[in-house]
Amino acid sequence: MSSCRMGYVERNSPLHGMDGLSKLLFLLLFLTSVIVTRRAGGFFLLGIVLLLCAGLGKVPLRTVLGGIWQMRFFFLLVFLMNFAFFDAEHAFFSWWIFTFSREGLLFGAKTVVRVLLAVAAGNIFTAVTTPLAITGSMETLLYPLQWIGVPVRDVAMILGVAIQFVPLFLREADTIKMAQTARGAPFYSRKFSERAGCVLPLVLPVFLSAFKRADELACAMEARGYVRKKGRLPLRKRHLQKADFLGLGGGMTLCLFAIFVF
Amino acid sequence: MGKLSYVKRAIITAACVALCVVLPMAFHAIPNAGSIYCPMHIPVLLCGLICGAPFGLLCGLLGPLASSLITQMPPMAYLPPMLVELAVYGLVAGVMMHLIKTKHLYADLYISLATAMVAGRIVAGVAKALLFAPGKVTLAAWAGGYFVTALPGILLQLLLIPSVVVALEKAKLIPARYTKKRMQ
Repeated sequence: MSSCRMGYVERNSPLHGMDGLSKLLFLLLFLTSVIVTRRAGGFFLLGIVLLLCAGLGKVPLRTVLGGIWQMRFFFLLVFLMNFAFFDAEHAFFSWWIFTFSREGLLFGAKTVVRVLLAVAAGNIFTAVTTPLAITGSMETLLYPLQWIGVPVRDVAMILGVAIQFVPLFLREADTIKMAQTARGAPFYSRKFSERAGCVLPLVLPVFLSAFKRADELACAMEARGYVRKKGRLPLRKRHLQKADFLGLGGGMTLCLFAIFVF
Repeated sequence: MGKLSYVKRAIITAACVALCVVLPMAFHAIPNAGSIYCPMHIPVLLCGLICGAPFGLLCGLLGPLASSLITQMPPMAYLPPMLVELAVYGLVAGVMMHLIKTKHLYADLYISLATAMVAGRIVAGVAKALLFAPGKVTLAAWAGGYFVTALPGILLQLLLIPSVVVALEKAKLIPARYTKKRMQ
C-alpha cells in the first residue's frame, strides 16, 4: 500500500518553486477557461498551456494522464449520450429515440475534451504542489468565508492534520496487513470471496490504531494549551515572488487568448 | 459521547478524513471494491456518529476532496455527487445520534446509521437527477447503483460501524454514551 502513487512528484523546477496560492489561482483560472471556451482553437491553446506547464514542472506524461485510462468508459458514455441524444435540426439520421447529428458529435467531443483537460490540469497541480501547500493556499483563498461564520482556520487545521496522518496510517495498515498475512489471511488469493473475507480483520485494527493516534495528538494539543482563537497568525508568512506574478500573468494572458481570440 | 472536547472532535475528524484516503487504498486488492464496498463511507458515518453533525458534514466534504487531491480517487468528474452523498451521511448521522436516545447504544447506532444511509442515497440520487446528470438518471439505475451493487458495502457498514464504536468505547478512546446504571 505504501507504494501507492501519491500525487506529489518531487522535482527541482520553476513550477515547484512557485507559491501554492498562485498555482491554485491559476488552476481555477484554467478550469474556468476550459468551461467557457467554445472553439477548437481555444481548446488547442489550452492543451498547449497544459503541455507547457508539464514541461516546466518536469512532470512525466504518465502522471499528467494518470486516471484518464480508468475513465475511458465514462468518456465513451458521455460522448455517445451527447452524440445520440442531442436535439439538432439537421440530423445525419434518426432512429427510434436516437438522433445522430453533426452538432451532437461536436458537443460530445467538446465535453470529453473539457473533462480530459480538467483531469490533466488537476494531475499537474497535485504533482507540483505539496499537500500542505494546497491546504495553506485553500485556507488563504477561503479566508473571506470567515466573515459569514465558517471556521476556516479550524477547517484548514483539520485538513492539514489529516494530510499528515495519511502516510502514518498507510504504514500502519501495511504492518497490520503483513501481520494478518503472517497469520494466514489470504490477501493475495485469486478467489474473490477469500480476499473479501480479509477486509474485516484489516479494517477494525486500522480504525482502533487511527483513533489511538488521534487521541494522543488531541491530548498533546490540549496539554500545550491549544485554543480556538481569532487572529492567530499562520506558521509561515506568504511571500509571492516575481516568478509567481510572471507565471500567473502569463497563464492568465494565454487563458484569455483561448477564450476570446481563438 | 457528548463529553468529547472540541479539539478531540477536530482531531478525530482529521483522522477520519485521513482514513477516507487510506481505506480505499486498502480495499484496492479487491476488484471494483470502490462501488461494491464503499470504503469511504465508513469513516464519514463513524465521524458523524462520534463527533456530531457539523464535524460529520465537514468529514463528508473533506474526505473525498483530500482523497481526490492525493490519490486521484475518485476522479474529479465523480467528485461532486460523492461530496453531496457523503456530506449528507455525516450530517444526518450526527443529527440522528443527537436526537435519538433509546438508552440502548446499539439501537441508537443502528437507527442513526440506517437513517443516514437512506437519506444520503436519496439526496445523492436527487442531486444527480437535477444537477449533475439531468435527464440521465432513472429510478432503476439509482436503485441498482446505490442499493444493489452496494449491498455488500451496506452489510459491511451495518456490521462494522457499531462494532467499531463499541470497541472504541471499551478502549476508552471515546466517552461512554450510557453508563452501566442507565443501561439497566
